[in-house]
Amino acid sequence: MASVSIETARTETDNKRSKPSRLAPNYWPFVVPALIVIGAVIVFPWVFTLWMSVNSWTLGQEQTFAGLDNYIRLATDFRFWESLWHTLIFTVLAVAAPLFLGTLAALIFDAQFPLRGFLRGVFVMPMMATPVAIALVWTMMFHPQLGVLNYLLSLVGIGPQEWIYNRYSVIPSLVLVETWQWTPLIMLIVLGGLASLPREPYESAEIDGANAWQKFRYLTLPMIAPFLMIGVIIRAIDAIKSFDIIYAMTQGGPGTASETINIYLYNTAFSYYDIGYGSAMAVVFFVIIVALSLVLMMVRARTNWSDMETR
Amino acid sequence: MATVTLQNIQKRFGAVNVIQDLSVDIADGEFVVLVGPSGCGKSTLLRMVAGLEEVSGGEIRIGAREVSNLPARDRDIAMVFQNYALYPHMTVEDNMGFALKLKRANPADTAERVKKAAAILGLENLLDRYPRQLSGGQRQRVAMGRAIVRNPQVFLFDEPLSNLDAKLRVVMRGEIKAMHQRIGTTTIYVTHDQIEAMTMADKIVVLHDGNIEQVGAPLELYDRPANLFVAGFIGSPAMNFLDGKIEEGVFRTEKGLILPLPAEVSPAKAGGRPLVYGIRPEHIRASDQGIQGRATIVEGTGSEIFAKLDCGSEQLSCLFRERIDIRFGDTVGISIDAKQVHLFDKTTGHRL
Repeated sequence: MASVSIETARTETDNKRSKPSRLAPNYWPFVVPALIVIGAVIVFPWVFTLWMSVNSWTLGQEQTFAGLDNYIRLATDFRFWESLWHTLIFTVLAVAAPLFLGTLAALIFDAQFPLRGFLRGVFVMPMMATPVAIALVWTMMFHPQLGVLNYLLSLVGIGPQEWIYNRYSVIPSLVLVETWQWTPLIMLIVLGGLASLPREPYESAEIDGANAWQKFRYLTLPMIAPFLMIGVIIRAIDAIKSFDIIYAMTQGGPGTASETINIYLYNTAFSYYDIGYGSAMAVVFFVIIVALSLVLMMVRARTNWSDMETR
Repeated sequence: MATVTLQNIQKRFGAVNVIQDLSVDIADGEFVVLVGPSGCGKSTLLRMVAGLEEVSGGEIRIGAREVSNLPARDRDIAMVFQNYALYPHMTVEDNMGFALKLKRANPADTAERVKKAAAILGLENLLDRYPRQLSGGQRQRVAMGRAIVRNPQVFLFDEPLSNLDAKLRVVMRGEIKAMHQRIGTTTIYVTHDQIEAMTMADKIVVLHDGNIEQVGAPLELYDRPANLFVAGFIGSPAMNFLDGKIEEGVFRTEKGLILPLPAEVSPAKAGGRPLVYGIRPEHIRASDQGIQGRATIVEGTGSEIFAKLDCGSEQLSCLFRERIDIRFGDTVGISIDAKQVHLFDKTTGHRL
């Protein structure tokens, strides 16, 4: 009796399966809200920016189709190329310095010593602060007459510096602030990497004759390379589009000495209201960021020893 | 190649004495296996020879050199670890040549030595692979290759086959032994598997709670175990132990079973005091006469039959090499080969 009812149930289920599902179209209501949000906050702004970039439109004036004129203007705009150069220098320095110092800090915090947990907590605090607040504090510290930095330099016999008020030292000074804020992030990433490294190869290396430096050079460094690359990718993308600290501290000055693409783009679009030209700049900037990300991801894949079996 | 001398070795972790005053002499080219249950101190001892653990007391000599306080890199030893400890970001070739690279050896010479070691271990086609692309057996071979390339005075193996499946373990066992026979380097091998110890060693050191229980050739340990621990540890299935006394020329267990004694036992000397009667399962034969027992466990593997017999009040494990028809609950007659009986003092655990 029981077997008969099971058979009947099976046949009913099979019949249901064999019919085309009438439920499928009803899934759409669940997807539509997400699609609306994505369309409104991602797709539309991009399509609009692309459209604007091929138009000549200054706020308050008539909008006209300009084709590739804005892009041609970019190619010959010295200020754009200068801002690109500033962006490049700023990005390279703002990635390299935290990477070096963060790795060093991670190696130190990886060792056991008294108050390690407390000091690590103190070390990561800059990361939690608001960029604009940081900018205000550092602007005061950089002040040539009243700033604490020149006072500290005077204690070791070094004369006062102009920091962000000099066109040659402004970018290194901004990098100093970025480094102060983001070295802890690299430290945390690398520290996580160090904690996950296998211990056995170090014993092998000890027996193979490696000294402390050789263990770091041939084992630790290549094994944490994937983690360093994650740090580089995060920092590079963050630094290349850095805006808040630069704008709050220098607004791209003195003159245009610290004007990065982001600042120039902002000034063009929202100070000069040249929306079309600013949009063309945004599109080119986006392409640069995507290209950089792709290159970094490819480099990361090459350093990732834990996935090597899949390559 | 070199001799290895461990003299009065001690190891303490805080207040815990892991190894207490242990001395062993290992001859040049000898294959010595340190065997014992988990926590007996065998791996700690090996790591002290390697220089990965400090010695709390005593002296380690490799050849004529006292190495107790030398760092691992200055001891001229090579070690194969249980989990291989390969460099995960290096290819097989780089793994094998790493020690020579550190010594700034000529790259052509390094490549030649790596190639030679790879040929010995059948790794020629895997030189450009990464460890994660290899099977467990291949990784273990790379670890051995890395040791061979260095041409050290002593090879150390720390449970190298524990992570392999049973079949591969047998294959690798043979390969390690073959490698030793070909190269002849002094080898210290740690395992908890007494089958590995029996099949590979020239000399076995049985460790228990940081002390040496017995040192000897595999068959010596099997035939004449020095005490109850060695008797129980060496041999699989384990030896049967029955408590009792010698009375009127026979052994009478506490529960009344009467068992035969070897001819050389002097009842006058051993009689009266509490003893332990040891007989290996493989030294019990099926017999129409003799002790009768009811089979409570029967396991046939084709080549042999293992059975647990309930002989009145005593349990006896038996291993029959002949094909006999036993089923659960059957009554089986058995006879004990008296020449193979071992007697131990119950109080001290020592062999009579």
